[in-house]
Amino acid sequence: MNRSNRSKDPPDPVDAYREGVDRSLIEKNLELSVEERFLQLMELQRFAAELRRAGERARGT
Amino acid sequence: MIDFPGLLRALSDAGIRFIIVGGAAATAHGSTRLTQDLDVVYARDRDNLERLVRALTPHEPYLRGAPPDLPFRFDAETLERGLNFTLTSKLGDIDLLGEIIGGGGYDDLATHTIEIELFGVRCRCLGLRKLIEVKRAAGRPKDLEVLAELEAILEREES
Repeated sequence: MNRSNRSKDPPDPVDAYREGVDRSLIEKNLELSVEERFLQLMELQRFAAELRRAGERARGT
Repeated sequence: MIDFPGLLRALSDAGIRFIIVGGAAATAHGSTRLTQDLDVVYARDRDNLERLVRALTPHEPYLRGAPPDLPFRFDAETLERGLNFTLTSKLGDIDLLGEIIGGGGYDDLATHTIEIELFGVRCRCLGLRKLIEVKRAAGRPKDLEVLAELEAILEREES
């Protein structure tokens, strides 16, 4: 593919998100074992569920 | 919340052939994003379907978001007639996928997996490069953020 064809390619929608990637967070995550990453994910899920419940209580739902 | 150890042990103890894909695979590769379910691609042969039914039935799988009175039977015939099932269960939400966009079925994906050990269970997880490929093929706006992250991880691995 020559340069003029490349310039006609649609923009990659992922590009808009590259700057927002927190590389330090990734580095920290990669220091963990795979199992530790899942334990962290489960902890995050527990926290998210608790936040949802707190929101529901606050709204009286 | 998903009981990953419970779900993976249930699948593994029953000898089910499956591949972890989706957000859980992204977590395995180092993604920091929150995922709320376990997505697996399962082999579609009859033996595997029956094993799936035996393994998950005690955990009361049911169609996620469906009315509670729907006549849903989780059996091998149902799995054979359908393809992709988004289920809720006592161990958490699990998506049983016969095929995924851009990746195909179990046999197509098997050569693009890595073996991981998780909670004492050895299981297959979609490789990072293929995971990026299928997420790109799916073209879902919700995947754009995780794609940027996964590509940063791949870039780091290759540098």
